[in-house]
Amino acid sequence: MPDVDVIVVGAGPAGSCAAIVLARAGKKVVLIERGPFPGSKNMYGGVVYPRILDQLIPEWWLEAPIQRWVTRRSTMIMTDTKALTIDFRSQAWGAPPYNGATAYRPDFDAWLADHAVAAGAELICSTTVTGLLHDANGHVSGVVTDRPDGELTASVVIACDGVNSFLAKQEGLYGEFDAANYTLGVKETLALPKDVIDERFGVRGTDGVDIEIIGCTGGVNGGGFIYTNLDTIAVGLVLKLPKLAAQKQRPEQLIARLKAHPAIAPLVEGGEIKEYSAHLIPEAGISMLPTLAGNGILLAGDAAALCLAAGIWLEGVNFAMASGMYAGQAAAEAIRSKDTSVAGLAGYQRRLEATFVLKDHRKLRRAPELVLSDRVQHLYPEFATSVAERMFRVDNPEPKPGVRKIVAQERKRVGIRRRDLAKDGLAGLRSFG
Amino acid sequence: MIGVCLKWVDRRPEPAGVGGGPDQPDERFAGVSAADQAALEWALRQRDLAGGEIVAVTVGPAAADAVLRDALAAGADRAVRVDRPFGAPSRTVADDLATVFAEATTVWCGDYSFDRGTGSVPAFVAAALGIGQALGLVAIDVDVAGIGALRRLDGGRRERLAITGRAVLSVEGGTALLRRAPLRGLLAKPVIDVVVPAQRIDAAHPADARPFRPRPRAFAPPAGSTALDRIRTLTAAGATVAHGETVTLDPPAAAERILSALREWGYI
Amino acid sequence: MIESPWPEISFEDRIGTASFNVHHTAHIVVDGKVCADCSTRECIVACPANLFVPTSDGGILFNYEQCFECGTCYMVCNREGAITWNYPEGGYGVVFKRT
Ligand SMILES: Cc1cc2nc3c(=O)[nH]c(=O)nc-3n(C[C@H](O)[C@H](O)[C@H](O)COP(=O)(O)OP(=O)(O)OC[C@H]3O[C@@H](n4cnc5c(N)ncnc54)[C@H](O)[C@@H]3O)c2cc1C
Repeated sequence: MPDVDVIVVGAGPAGSCAAIVLARAGKKVVLIERGPFPGSKNMYGGVVYPRILDQLIPEWWLEAPIQRWVTRRSTMIMTDTKALTIDFRSQAWGAPPYNGATAYRPDFDAWLADHAVAAGAELICSTTVTGLLHDANGHVSGVVTDRPDGELTASVVIACDGVNSFLAKQEGLYGEFDAANYTLGVKETLALPKDVIDERFGVRGTDGVDIEIIGCTGGVNGGGFIYTNLDTIAVGLVLKLPKLAAQKQRPEQLIARLKAHPAIAPLVEGGEIKEYSAHLIPEAGISMLPTLAGNGILLAGDAAALCLAAGIWLEGVNFAMASGMYAGQAAAEAIRSKDTSVAGLAGYQRRLEATFVLKDHRKLRRAPELVLSDRVQHLYPEFATSVAERMFRVDNPEPKPGVRKIVAQERKRVGIRRRDLAKDGLAGLRSFG
Repeated sequence: MIGVCLKWVDRRPEPAGVGGGPDQPDERFAGVSAADQAALEWALRQRDLAGGEIVAVTVGPAAADAVLRDALAAGADRAVRVDRPFGAPSRTVADDLATVFAEATTVWCGDYSFDRGTGSVPAFVAAALGIGQALGLVAIDVDVAGIGALRRLDGGRRERLAITGRAVLSVEGGTALLRRAPLRGLLAKPVIDVVVPAQRIDAAHPADARPFRPRPRAFAPPAGSTALDRIRTLTAAGATVAHGETVTLDPPAAAERILSALREWGYI
Repeated sequence: MIESPWPEISFEDRIGTASFNVHHTAHIVVDGKVCADCSTRECIVACPANLFVPTSDGGILFNYEQCFECGTCYMVCNREGAITWNYPEGGYGVVFKRT
């Protein structure tokens, strides 16, 4: 008999949701986290989309440790001296059931893990899982930790150990490693008085802003972001690893560059750095997806590369929570039917395919590559902003040129081939349309 | 009984705001100091060698149970929490600890905590129990026969102690690294006895609640006809000043002399 | 290149805003012999914690203490065996607060 029914490795959003589901299903579940408390190792940009929690914690918004509700979302395309912004706001997003919310992960993840504990899961912190145990048939049968007497056996291990998932790699569930599948996220949490934030970002109360930026990462492909918390703002960049490694500017220098941009400086000026942080993102979506289940093991969240990241598009926490929840359901089902082999755990893949988790990933499968492509990163920002500049510029006594003419001239000037523009446009339509 | 005192404190406190006293620690960042960890380790070594029952004690609110759970996981035999709000004055904490340690042969403490503790709790505990004290130990040698220790004195000097009777020992963090609790230790259900002291004392002593500032003192204006002279007088620049004063007095008179000096300098 | 309108803080001050519960043994080990003949040195520019510092004799100095445990260094490194990467012992390493 194994020590427990399920061991969940990693108390991030994926792990805690898996543990909640299993504990509520009456399974004996141990949740192991290497940090001193859940969330202590976790960093992200700043917006969670918690609607999936409707299924686990009804009216979660009454108790979740939220900073602000995002009611304004801007997408900014910039060059060194120009910026073109699409600014959207909806007051509907500031009332239940809400849409996105800014939150600190050391708060949010700790809160979610509390729900797992309340449901009956056993949370063990300050303990790193260093390997997997296997039975005579090669099925995963438990974990090894870095504690004395540190082995623990279980019917199923759910690896929610994040982007570096050494467990998934050890188990051979990933294909060939390619650094190009990952981006580095770096950010500064800057303190500003709440009323200053309200004024600069044009919001009130607990309404918040989410700004995504493209064309702000120098020669490195990636994107930038600014999110408002109550009395801090998060300013950061997402940088494609091979490109970052192949140039000369360090991550914090690239952030400084963004903060100095004329469109950004007035928003961040005077903010005192409260915390500088960094974390990796599995960026390549479906094209880097590992095998999601093995005998006695499931992968969820970033460990399964289920983060939906396309440069400026960053949804990972909701994908982690959902995949963790479905992994928990599938594991409970497999234990009930006394078959925890790959076949017995097939309910996991089925659930992911039937829901937004894999549906969105499939729909947006071309997006990561497109958004991080050289043309979108280095040519289109100049193209789009200079078209806008010429449309809005009054060149009297010259008459206004037609938009079609401006587009054609600027395309040529920037050096974009018509064929590529059409191709990328189509890819964009196919991805986002 | 081997006693261990563990203080639950914020290991990464925010800088205190203006007039800020000891705040309730953020549970996620709370724990014990390296010195308290070393104290527990020495208790474990003493028990492993000479036998006995280790009782780990903390004075604090329910959230402080976390440090006792860790102590039990690492090998303490029993855990007691004296239920008080965070920030009780040292005297109260020491009296609470002494109540639990009435039977203890050795009481291990860390020599300082993370917050602005005075390090006075161990001495108060020893006084309350009426037993010996060896504070600020920098090296310890636990033996079946007794405990040898090295104590830091002023001026870089050391004092070698042989501890045989009942005593309160406070140790520096560097003296020992707390062993890692085994996984089974963490999975075991901890049992923590909670003692509710009869007399409730408010969270913080009013005098503890603000940063220390010496009282202002009135000075006569410095003598001298030119500004330079007056500055010379004021700063005593160029003059030979006496560094301190050496007096030989019997203990009561010495204590009185120290108090009057502190009063004169504005400290009390 | 855009010039920053206000002085940036030093890297020491920057990294000092994060908290680290440093373990006494290193979780990442760098084999200086392998780095000695590496000319690309991706780690130096990419590590967000600036833990890889070139030395005057052509080597690389590595500190593990203020590490974000992100994994960038081993991912960008092109040299087999140069970086042995593990997580620190449970409970140690970086502790985030407002991330
Ligand atoms: C810069 C950046 C910006 C982002 N922005 C957003 C955003 O705005 N919105 C959004 O939704 N998503 C965002 N994401 C993505 C999101 O953070 C992740 O997708 C999400 O955290 C994944 O959750 P998880 O539970 O799978 O993994 P994680 O949150 O990484 O949790 C893994 C947990 O496992 C623990 N662990 C790892 N290894 C072990 C081990 N061996 N033993 C024990 N414990 C272990 C870790 O300590 C951690 O607690 C961003 C990510 C980054 C880096």
